[in-house]
Amino acid sequence: GAVNNALSNTSDDYAVNVDTMLKAIVTALLESDVNIALVSRLRNNIKSKLMAQKPASGSTNAQTKKLIQKTVFDELCNLVDCDVKEPFNPKKKQCNVIMFVGLQGSGKTTSCTKLAVYYQKRGFKVGLVCADTFRAGAFDQLKQNAIKARIPFYGSYTETDPVQVADEGIKKFKKEKFEIIIVDTSGRHRQEEALFQEMIEISHVVKPNQTIMVLDASIGQAAEQQSKAFKDSSDFGAIILTKMDGHAKGGGAISAVAATHTPIIFIGTGEHVHDFEKFSPKSFVSKLLGIGDIESLMEQ
Amino acid sequence: TMGFIQRNLIGNKTITESDLRSVLDKLKKKLITKNVAPEAADFLTEQVSNDLLGSKTANWTSVEVTARASLTKALTQILTPGVSVDLLHEIQKKTGKKDNEGKAQPYVFSIVGVNGVGKSTNLSKLAFWLLQNNFKVLIVACDTFRSGAVEQLRVHVENLAQLMDESHIRGSKNKRGKTGNDFVELFESGYGGSDLVTKIAKQAIKYAHDQEFDIVLMDTAGRRHNDPTLMSPLKSFAEQAQPDKIIMVGEALVGTDSVQQAKNFNDAFGKVRNLDFFIISKCDTVGEMLGTMVNMVYATGIPILFVGVGQTYTDLRTLSVKWAVNTLMA
Ligand SMILES: Nc1nc2c(ncn2[C@@H]2O[C@H](COP(=O)(O)OP(=O)(O)OP(=O)(O)O)[C@@H](O)[C@H]2O)c(=O)[nH]1
Ligand SMILES: Nc1nc2c(ncn2[C@@H]2O[C@H](COP(=O)(O)OP(=O)(O)OP(=O)(O)O)[C@@H](O)[C@H]2O)c(=O)[nH]1
Ligand SMILES: [Mg+2]
Ligand SMILES: [Mg+2]
Repeated sequence: GAVNNALSNTSDDYAVNVDTMLKAIVTALLESDVNIALVSRLRNNIKSKLMAQKPASGSTNAQTKKLIQKTVFDELCNLVDCDVKEPFNPKKKQCNVIMFVGLQGSGKTTSCTKLAVYYQKRGFKVGLVCADTFRAGAFDQLKQNAIKARIPFYGSYTETDPVQVADEGIKKFKKEKFEIIIVDTSGRHRQEEALFQEMIEISHVVKPNQTIMVLDASIGQAAEQQSKAFKDSSDFGAIILTKMDGHAKGGGAISAVAATHTPIIFIGTGEHVHDFEKFSPKSFVSKLLGIGDIESLMEQ
Repeated sequence: TMGFIQRNLIGNKTITESDLRSVLDKLKKKLITKNVAPEAADFLTEQVSNDLLGSKTANWTSVEVTARASLTKALTQILTPGVSVDLLHEIQKKTGKKDNEGKAQPYVFSIVGVNGVGKSTNLSKLAFWLLQNNFKVLIVACDTFRSGAVEQLRVHVENLAQLMDESHIRGSKNKRGKTGNDFVELFESGYGGSDLVTKIAKQAIKYAHDQEFDIVLMDTAGRRHNDPTLMSPLKSFAEQAQPDKIIMVGEALVGTDSVQQAKNFNDAFGKVRNLDFFIISKCDTVGEMLGTMVNMVYATGIPILFVGVGQTYTDLRTLSVKWAVNTLMA
């Protein structure tokens, strides 16, 4: 990985080591799609931290390398591991509404069912609402997923207003005392204002306890602007990062988290309903930097 | 002493490596902000360097202006297709050749790409374009994996049938008992494994020949380009279906992974077969960040047939290289 390679040179000079290291880090981050402006901010932060904590004289080269490595690692972990004052925790015997938003094709519909199964396994009574009346076949997709996973669902083939469908679905499941209602919506992007307006209207009738933005791990430099715009309009409280089984390392997600100060809660690791994991900042950052042995870092 | 003007603007200056270093660095950063992968940005600035080292700046022209002009040239070169293709003409040539039954072989497209990039949607836009050019189109549901994939195409066929003939009643069957009408029809056989995919593809092509469709458009399931078990069926699929054109849909939102996506899909069909075209989708969602198209063409040399600029049937455009280059240089 970038970190190890950069450190395989054996210069004794701390400052030189730091610079070599940072250069490699910058390259690795840019190659994994972290926003370029954010990369240079990170670089400066890490550099000043490193210069402030010069290793004790007489420490070995290997120790110095470890120090640099750990500082970089921690800085990135801190960035993606953002604290939320009151993280969303659904309560039993109560109605918790979760609304999904995101760009076209990011994996919303797939992740809705994954999350529904996650909560169902934990004993919640979960229902799915398809408030995507735009995308061709959207209701069939959600319906087939829901049937396979044995999750009750609501949607309409004839109603074209997603606000209406969302309203009806929520009412139906509330009446039947469902504890978690997950609302899928259609894909949208910040350039089309009418689509964002629609999202706001859906959210007014749905009144979500939690809004989740779904982000594709392969997203590039557009991640920052798009997620910022979603944050401003939908005030989502969490991110699900999909397609982490792919080749992309998900640097776009770092830009999204930095721009919105919103945590990633789950990652999608495949097309099947069980390909879903809790987000772990440490394994995410180590994959990003290409470090195999995080344990050795953690020892310190 | 040499002032700023002398150093930068006077022109007629032999360009050295040190003159270029900071200028190229700046241009590289600019390209990266436009979503050009660092690897592709390096390649492009290398081109500029080769172009300019040892040459002289024109009168009253700075090194930076000269380098920008050179980069503009390099971008234009990379995005301009090597051979011009008149696809409609090519289709007419094939569908004009009748066999002894008086029927022609259909012109076959298959659409491939990673998950969720816009394959099915842009296939439908392609269908609309071909219908506008008076071809009869058979849409084939070869994504037998993703939930709702067949129904998604069915909705598109209903929409397209209605656009071609206002009196088309949604949900009605045509004279052959299928979804669609005389212009456009859906060929489907439900869900199943990759054996089913190949079977559907072959049956569809025969059916299109018998029923005198000009065009066969085959949708395929999205797949991860780094998974051999998902990628290897593509090769046998292409060998069996023998598509005239294989089009990969690449998504403008995708970052550096687009380089590898393009390479892996281009390599998936074996040594004797390549991708024929890209469609770059979702260009309306990235503003000025048009780098993906550069990345994919840089990785493979495969030309861009169309760009997708929205979610409706008319949101398919031929790429204006000039527009793309200006946007990237802005
Ligand atoms: N490999 C992989 N594929 C995924 C993952 N999550 C979703 N997909 C695939 O990505 C594609 C798009 O997923 P959808 O759930 O339809 O995305 P969406 O955001 O609902 O799309 P729209 O409703 O059209 O905006 C599908 O082919 C899914 O199977 C994942 O974690 N890994
Ligand atoms: N804004 C915009 N959205 C697009 C464009 N092309 C496709 N989409 C949207 O992207 C989403 C995914 O499109 P699909 O056609 O289902 O993608 P796919 O590649 O067939 O997906 P899978 O079959 O699941 O792999 C849908 O919501 C489309 O409306 C485009 O050019 N612009
Ligand atoms: Mg969806
Ligand atoms: Mg599809």
